[in-house]
Amino acid sequence: MVWDLPLRLFHWSMVSVVFVTLITGYLAPEWWLDIHMRAGYALGCLLAFRFVWGFFGTYYSRFNSFPLSIKDSVEYLLSIIRTQPKTFTGHNPLGAWMIVVLLTTLVFLVLTGLVVLGGQENLGPLASAVNFSIGEMFEDIHEILAGILIVLICIHLAGVFIDVRVFRHPVVKAMITGRKPGSADYTEIPGYGVLRGAILISLGIATVLFIGLQSNALPTDSWRAIKLPTVYGSECGDCHDPYHPSLQTKEAWQVIMETLSDHYGEDASLDEQTVAVISEFLQSNDALSFDTEVSHKIGRTESPSYRMTDTDYWKKKHKDIDQTVFKYPSVGSKVNCKGCHMDALTGRFDDAKIKLPKGDKK
Amino acid sequence: MKNLSHLIQQAALLCCLVIVLSISANAASPQSILGGYEAEAKIQDQHFQEFSAKRGQLLFQSTNTTGKPETPSCTTCHSKDPSSAGRTRAEKEISPMALSRSPQRYNDLKKVEKWFRRNCKSVLGRVCSPLEKGDFITFMINQ
Repeated sequence: MVWDLPLRLFHWSMVSVVFVTLITGYLAPEWWLDIHMRAGYALGCLLAFRFVWGFFGTYYSRFNSFPLSIKDSVEYLLSIIRTQPKTFTGHNPLGAWMIVVLLTTLVFLVLTGLVVLGGQENLGPLASAVNFSIGEMFEDIHEILAGILIVLICIHLAGVFIDVRVFRHPVVKAMITGRKPGSADYTEIPGYGVLRGAILISLGIATVLFIGLQSNALPTDSWRAIKLPTVYGSECGDCHDPYHPSLQTKEAWQVIMETLSDHYGEDASLDEQTVAVISEFLQSNDALSFDTEVSHKIGRTESPSYRMTDTDYWKKKHKDIDQTVFKYPSVGSKVNCKGCHMDALTGRFDDAKIKLPKGDKK
Repeated sequence: MKNLSHLIQQAALLCCLVIVLSISANAASPQSILGGYEAEAKIQDQHFQEFSAKRGQLLFQSTNTTGKPETPSCTTCHSKDPSSAGRTRAEKEISPMALSRSPQRYNDLKKVEKWFRRNCKSVLGRVCSPLEKGDFITFMINQ
């Protein structure tokens, strides 16, 4: 036995979880963020297990058994070039380095992912600690790391392919059965207490992360729950669902409220007192008083028409949506955010709260 | 002298009307709102008899060119059938105009006046007369 069962389970769980994160990160539409996020949490737990196992696992799983010295690596590289690779029972030096780099990249992917999640979506354990612009910066880093990860995966697969096909080492089979032909068992088997310990630690981490998930809708420095005044809902809401005040700046709201008699071609005039109440509410909760993605990308952006649908960001984000979706009875038109953004009235606009209506075409 | 007494009579009626309207301002019934419009209509036209659901229906269904081109008729947004729902220009559903389908309607004078003010301007390009408002509501409460 070379690879113990927990290590093998870890490896293949990692393969599937990373696969899910890559698919949801690169290919799936944004409202799959929910799945991407959960896969990211799972990845974090798996990495935590691997870290524990790297110190307390069986011999070949432990980091101190990895042949990482420069001397070993150079010798191994030379032996490959001579097409007579030195054999190693555990990892060969290149494989060991691969694992170190892969695991490090994945750790940073999880960490930067949490920063992006906290900053842009106000979700997760860092929701109250990270502001929007830091979240946006880390999104770039997260994407660069994801690119690096893909390159690393390709190198890993190429290495395995060469090992299996060229050098006839059944390394894939070894990662399934745990055994390598002609290799001795590892010398010592740590007690099951260690395994239990590792599982407990992983469960502990999972619990912490779960609490992080549960605290999603709690108010943070970036986002707070505000109560829409009844008069706002009844007056503006008669014609369209009331928009969250963080979707416009104070100045824009003032212009909108002063020009209600010609409100996008509609006479929406109100008595002075009602205008004053609604204006006060909108202006004191405007885009600048929020630090959410939508308050930055749409709220702080001035468009000459004051229409949210005329901002570049709105257009970019909705360009792939089939025009017929906007005509579904449950949506009505492009100005009805709530038709797809389930949390539009709260001003959060979480990616994970997007649900495209299906099958109720006019 | 006759003119003066006529003027006083009108002023008195108007005062009564204002009092009635302000009392019934927010918690009115369709009947009291109609009563208010009736009093106003009588001031405007001494030969006023009663509101007509038929005239109300014609007003509701009429197509006009004096208002905004986007809204030539009440039915543009409210749909042709008073008992079915309409849609605002922002495509939000409007509850049916018929009182039998929307019992919450015609109970709040302020709201009724707000929508007559806005929509008469949009559809007809002018304010509606008390007679038109009364006819309209009479048509809708009989639907």
